Amino acid sequence: MNEAPTSRGDEIGTALYVYGVVPPSTSADLFAGVEGIDSHGLVQLVAAGELAAITSSVPLDEFDEAPLERNVRDPAWLEEKVRAHDRVLEAALSGGTVLPFRFGTIYRGEEHVRKVLSARSDLAKTLARLNGTVEFGVKAFLDRAAMRVRLLAEQGLQDDSPSTGRAYMQRRQVDRQVEEEVRNLAADWAHESHLCLAAAALDGRMNQLPQPELSGDDREAVLNGAYLVRTEETEVFRRALAELEDSYADDLAFQLTGPWPPYNFAEYQEQ
Amino acid sequence: MAGPQPASLADVLERVLDKGIVIAGDIQINLLDIELLTIRLRLLVASADKAREMGIDWWEGDPFLGRGTKTALEDRIKRLESRAGIDEESPAEEES
Repeated sequence: MNEAPTSRGDEIGTALYVYGVVPPSTSADLFAGVEGIDSHGLVQLVAAGELAAITSSVPLDEFDEAPLERNVRDPAWLEEKVRAHDRVLEAALSGGTVLPFRFGTIYRGEEHVRKVLSARSDLAKTLARLNGTVEFGVKAFLDRAAMRVRLLAEQGLQDDSPSTGRAYMQRRQVDRQVEEEVRNLAADWAHESHLCLAAAALDGRMNQLPQPELSGDDREAVLNGAYLVRTEETEVFRRALAELEDSYADDLAFQLTGPWPPYNFAEYQEQ
Repeated sequence: MAGPQPASLADVLERVLDKGIVIAGDIQINLLDIELLTIRLRLLVASADKAREMGIDWWEGDPFLGRGTKTALEDRIKRLESRAGIDEESPAEEES
């Protein structure tokens, strides 16, 4: 195909990486000075109909199937590219609404991108649904040791090591009960917290809990939630979180991240 | 209330690799298991963080925090890779 030999991505050795889509009215200035996934490829919009794709040119020797498969196995490469993907979408978010694509959506050229945009006019509806929204992440962490001390104290026990054999056996039984109670309570709290946060948002998701060894956080997460919030209702959401922080002050530590592009709500199906 | 904190790598990874809308591209990317990718990145981050904290030879210093953690993660990677049928020494190359 030689229909547009000068358009980006059709040059020999390059392809177009697509970060997500925005309304076609979105200003290209948002991306001025924003470094894309490849340092040589400027972030530019490719528009068709009611959609514009956020794109940048990437070298095929890094992003064609075989090299890409190797590269995603390289942690340093992957971290850099994943952060770039997020950085570009954050820039888009600063100007309005953005519908994030999954990492690694790549086309051979601009014409291919336009064809996809024309074929997927349903994305315009999704974009309209996400209009004026951002995503917040909330994690809740449990202080298991403190909880254990408190539950033991409720039974008139101290968190020590009993010296006699009999006391030791009794303690082991109490320990098992305490463990179970901690687990049940934590699950209840996480669920209640999620409901409170979701009530202050347009939508909410409870995601898989991060493994402490993977998240780099030694604390034990009991909630990993994502919430879709209308930009002008950010304060309502923050207040809901502040109330949770007050009511669970002794038991849970909350962590807020965002505003994020609405990654967790991109696939949502309209009822 | 504390304001939002800077996004951790785990938060970014979870979103960029595992969420977002999936649209078929011209180039098919076969991402590894998200957990496996995250572990690999954690290894990198753990190494870098520890290196900053303890000097570049951190792994010589504390067998538990250094080599221990790394070994545990590496073991886990091996287990996951064997589960996924991946041989670390020969990354999947297209037979041509």
